Amino acid sequence: MADFSCLVVEDSPMMRQLLVFALARIKRISVTEAEDGVDALRKLAGTRFDLVVTDINMPIMDGLKLVKRIRSDETHKDVPIIIITTEGSTEDRQRAMALGANAYITKPIQAPQVIAKVKELLSLE
Amino acid sequence: MAEDESDERRSRTSDIPVDLSRERETFVRQFLRKGVELTEGLIDENKELRSQLAAAQRENAALRAQVASDDAIRDLLRKIESLEHERKSLVERSSELEESSRRTEHRNLEVEQELHDLANLYIASSHLHSTLSVRGVMRHLKELLQQLVGAETFVVYLMDESAEEARPVGWDGVEDASALASVKKGEGAVGEVLMTGVPRVVDRIEGPGTLEAPIAAIPLMVRDEAVGAIAIASVFEQKGVWAAVDHELFNLLGSHAATALIAANQYTEAEDAFSALRGLGDHLNPNP
Repeated sequence: MADFSCLVVEDSPMMRQLLVFALARIKRISVTEAEDGVDALRKLAGTRFDLVVTDINMPIMDGLKLVKRIRSDETHKDVPIIIITTEGSTEDRQRAMALGANAYITKPIQAPQVIAKVKELLSLE
Repeated sequence: MAEDESDERRSRTSDIPVDLSRERETFVRQFLRKGVELTEGLIDENKELRSQLAAAQRENAALRAQVASDDAIRDLLRKIESLEHERKSLVERSSELEESSRRTEHRNLEVEQELHDLANLYIASSHLHSTLSVRGVMRHLKELLQQLVGAETFVVYLMDESAEEARPVGWDGVEDASALASVKKGEGAVGEVLMTGVPRVVDRIEGPGTLEAPIAAIPLMVRDEAVGAIAIASVFEQKGVWAAVDHELFNLLGSHAATALIAANQYTEAEDAFSALRGLGDHLNPNP
């Protein structure tokens, strides 16, 4: 039985799979996948998550809007959010942090970095 | 009769001259006084001896205590020496454990990195071959270059039927795609890679290159022949060095990308999966 639940929001199946692989290395954590912001909101509506990891550039609803929506939601307003950004999106990163994201990771991602950041936000050993 | 004896004694005493009697009395007194003095002296001497004995006993006790104390100190010193030895041993053991812990932590990080690299390779391989659509393979190839390698500007070239020239078939990050030109085999960095089949990757990423002088040119091989190439002109700014897995990904792309593209291209000519399988048995068993 997992103690923590994490929502991974990423439109690229390749990146999503890589993130899921990385998070699976952490014990006591279960991962739910979402393809974009809207899919993420749908999944957030029914479940309480302990962490959200989201890409910024996504179709339908991007990561910035998703961060804003999460922070305005009473249930999930305090959930830690990690954003995944690329080098050319410094402004997006700053906006996401200003909107309430807790941390960011730049692409190409490194699993040990993702694991360390998630453990830090979930106060795991 | 008793009265007679007493009378007789009185008569004898009275017979002693007075001087002699006095002398005898003096003598007796002196004798008694000296006896008293002697006794007092003996008593004093006894007291003195008792006092000396008590002092000697005290001294003895003190000496005994001193000896006991010395023994205790010796025991304590031995104990301290033993504890010091134990402490040194524990410090050494602690250092060994710390070193062991550091090595384990380092090894854990290495293992995590290796797992990440293997996951990258697995994902790259599985996604390249997960579709039989040419567009799908190209999309995955581009995604793999962007997401896993961190390529920002790149072009995928494939040889035409003459096998002398490769034309661009996929790209990303290129400002003016209409300016992309075919590459002749043997000409320039990409042409050389097409001719030799040997990748050209800069050792150190010191900034962006160009499509003519890319920082990485990877041949796409089928058997021993290069049928295309990937030219990476630039990577994301934060990517300062090639990771070990990048070279593995280049190897994987070199050996799998062209095969996946050819398989997808062959499949587009088939009506469906069953027709694509037509003749497969004959190839597997050519001499029944």
